[in-house]
Amino acid sequence: MQNEEQHYLEMRNIVKSFGPLIANNNITLKVEKATVHALIGENGAGKSTLMNILSGIYKPDYGEIIIDGKKMHFRNSFDAAKNGIGMVFQEFMLFDDLTVIENIVYAYEKTRYGMFIDKKKNREKVEQICRDYHFNIPLDAKVSEIPVSLLQQVEIVKVLYKGAEIIILDEPTSVLTPQGVQGLFKAIRFLIKNGKTIILITHKLKEVFAIADEITVLRDGKVTGNVKPSEITENELANMMVGREVLLEADKDPVEPGEVILEVKNLTVKDKEGVVRVKNVNFDVHAGEIVGIAGVAGSGQQFLVEALFGLSDAEKGSQILFNGKDITNGTPRDARLMGIGYIPQDRLNAGGNPQGTIWENAIMGYHVAHGFKSKVFLDHKEIDEFSDRVVAQFNVKTQGLNEKLKSLSGGNIQKLIVGRESIQDNKLLIIEDPTRGIDVGAIEFVWEKLLAITREGKGILLVSHELNEVMQLSDRIYVIYNGVLIEAGNYHEKTEQEIGLLMLGGGEDDVWK
Amino acid sequence: MTSGNETIAKPKRFDLTSGIWVEVARYFFSFIGVLLLGALLIYAQGEDPLKAAKLIVAGAFGNRVAIGNSFRWATPCLLTGAAAIVAFKSGVNNLGIEGQMYLGAFIAAVIGYFYKLPAGVHMIVCLVAAGFSGVIWMIIPAVMRLFFRINEYITTMMMNFIATLFCDFFVIWVIIPSLGITTTTAATPNIMKGARLPSLIKGTSASWGFLLGIFCCVFVYILYRYTIQGYELKQVGENLKFALVGGVNVKKTFLSIFVLSGFLGGLAGGVEVTGGYYRYVSGFSYTMGWEGIMIANICKQNPIALIFVSIIWGALKTGAMNMERGTALNRLTVNLLQMIFVILVSIDFEGIFKFFDDRINKKKELDKIIRQTGAQNAN
Ligand SMILES: Nc1ncnc2c1ncn2[C@@H]1O[C@H](COP(=O)(O)OP(=O)(O)OP(=O)(O)O)[C@@H](O)[C@H]1O
Ligand SMILES: [Mg+2]
Repeated sequence: MQNEEQHYLEMRNIVKSFGPLIANNNITLKVEKATVHALIGENGAGKSTLMNILSGIYKPDYGEIIIDGKKMHFRNSFDAAKNGIGMVFQEFMLFDDLTVIENIVYAYEKTRYGMFIDKKKNREKVEQICRDYHFNIPLDAKVSEIPVSLLQQVEIVKVLYKGAEIIILDEPTSVLTPQGVQGLFKAIRFLIKNGKTIILITHKLKEVFAIADEITVLRDGKVTGNVKPSEITENELANMMVGREVLLEADKDPVEPGEVILEVKNLTVKDKEGVVRVKNVNFDVHAGEIVGIAGVAGSGQQFLVEALFGLSDAEKGSQILFNGKDITNGTPRDARLMGIGYIPQDRLNAGGNPQGTIWENAIMGYHVAHGFKSKVFLDHKEIDEFSDRVVAQFNVKTQGLNEKLKSLSGGNIQKLIVGRESIQDNKLLIIEDPTRGIDVGAIEFVWEKLLAITREGKGILLVSHELNEVMQLSDRIYVIYNGVLIEAGNYHEKTEQEIGLLMLGGGEDDVWK
Repeated sequence: MTSGNETIAKPKRFDLTSGIWVEVARYFFSFIGVLLLGALLIYAQGEDPLKAAKLIVAGAFGNRVAIGNSFRWATPCLLTGAAAIVAFKSGVNNLGIEGQMYLGAFIAAVIGYFYKLPAGVHMIVCLVAAGFSGVIWMIIPAVMRLFFRINEYITTMMMNFIATLFCDFFVIWVIIPSLGITTTTAATPNIMKGARLPSLIKGTSASWGFLLGIFCCVFVYILYRYTIQGYELKQVGENLKFALVGGVNVKKTFLSIFVLSGFLGGLAGGVEVTGGYYRYVSGFSYTMGWEGIMIANICKQNPIALIFVSIIWGALKTGAMNMERGTALNRLTVNLLQMIFVILVSIDFEGIFKFFDDRINKKKELDKIIRQTGAQNAN
């Protein structure tokens, strides 16, 4: 029957097209049991599509899926889940208002007499899983109350609960801190030891070398390589991905900072429950410089940025000055009209409208800040011209301006949003995680764009969970810890270790006041 | 722009999977389906389906009067449908169109009877006042939504009851006693001649309200399709946070959705009074407001499709009355068929077409790709 060795999971000759675009072009993927198989490739290479096929969300146009020698025909995602395929999506799919355990058992509840939910049995099984795989999560906490790194573990427990043997993780680390990544990898190693199989999609090559047993590289919908980490260097791998050398180093010149654009004095922000999230923060941004704020997720950077952009209120005594004008507690509309751009971290909720078209997403904000010739009617010539510029300059891979945003790949959505905000003639750009989910080739390119913006005399406030990014780009670096802003020196003044320590609270004493 | 992946050159042809043809096919097949089911239903009641169908068509389009009546009954569908489309397209659940309609009708009837104004002006004042009474009725849910986060699902629905009961109460306990008349129907007296909408087709019940309805549909279409305001309305409806971050004045936009939808709902009532009944009659609407919501969904919130569906709806209504006169059948038969039409139209034909289209066309192309790239790993 089989003329070569049998793999645990085989996807053979998978073809999937969307209209005229072939997202998967005859892809064959072979995965051995109890290994970590990394799936890497440029944005839009077809990774998510391939995994959506494996998990029964899409049907392939051609090709077959074989697990343990048995040919599979998944009718839908429930069917795939029943057959041991579990997928953790990049954008979490949890209900905020339900508790952790309710989310885990959702739609797969154990029942009594086939009707009544057997809460006790559900709980026993979930607790068993957590014990077996060393997950330590508060089962009765509301999902909205727990940090992202735990959410990820909830998602993993969820697929284990459904009986997953093969677990797909689509860019799981792009929302995690280095500590979170270590925790995740520990969990992955443990899963492997227990005979589970992991397919990991990531853009971070360091992670691939840290955990993968085997690597498959996709490019333009085709397989361009299948290697073991021991047989290849990081540079060679990057080369295989994007077809050229990748340095991942920003080409930064020293800058001569201009006048002050943004001045923040005594900024204090409380959340809805009245907990202080930003404590008495002072800093400024000058024309022509990038000010970077590093910090572990959940340290208050979200609240800081939202207060600056008018999305949440600052406490009494706080003052935010833009070009000398008081903009404390303004609205996002005011901010845009004054020439402040904003790239939010949450690209599908705040950054984009998944149901909208490419052009509808491209002109948002620009239509307020800059506007078109006609204030009443949509001028599609102007709109297309602007949208095309965003798409072309930022290499957004799309089939046209009328395509829906949700059909773009994750990284391409990100590029569209970054492009939209960068291309406008703003005086100040507030950026959160600009390269989240973007492939290594494109990261360099986005960095270059940001540096070019500052060379035009504009200021950038960069908030990123990627310490390397902050260090490569920023003229001045701050660390936010527990809502307090700590100075971390100028460009290349402190080492990665020193700043890393500050991020964990090992800094000056005033942090503990 | 489109970099990377090579493309399958699709043969240009009559493509059933996209755009307008799906819609046309959807209505066509639904219509055939309704005809077949209707024939069966009528036959089962011992009547001749062909005769019944003839009576319906004759009743709807047979002569000038028939056409006029069809237009007359299409009118409320146009306006309530437009009110529903504005709301739903922007993510507002206005279930209160019925109530706005009642209030609009009541106000138009009161102004039309009690206040003497120059002819024409009188009519316009009645209509505008009707519209604004709908707006006021919608402001309450809007405020509760914007400032207290109470979903308008519930509030607009509750406002329906308040509106109908309030109007009836006022007519029965205030207006009728004050006039010193005795009557068996809870209704206001007829409005003055100068407050009435001109007739559209002489000798029929079709008024200029029909044109006003079409105008409103076209207005809504242009608003969403061609204006910046419409673009913002759509984005606010689809993703509020996105619009907020983009600098859209979300509160103002949201409020204008409530206002516009309420105005159209109130206007529908005003047109019923100034162009239809010439007075406020308790229970006049027969759930016209709810029908608007249903029709808006049938035409997938497309205001131009709404015009056609409304005319079909009006035609069926008048046709059904004619059928009732000529046969032993009840007009509820037609109502039943209307509902079946709703269900058939809602079927996902696109998915079904796509399924077959994919099967037939992709197969060949795929074989080619596989041959070209070589099926290396196939066994
Ligand atoms: N539902 C869809 N409709 C149309 N095109 C789609 C759809 N889903 C994906 N595509 C297209 O298929 C291509 C591959 O997308 P996919 O999401 O698989 O990329 P990816 O490798 O996961 O990229 P990223 O790293 O950016 O997440 C993209 O060009 C995308 O636009
Ligand atoms: Mg992806």
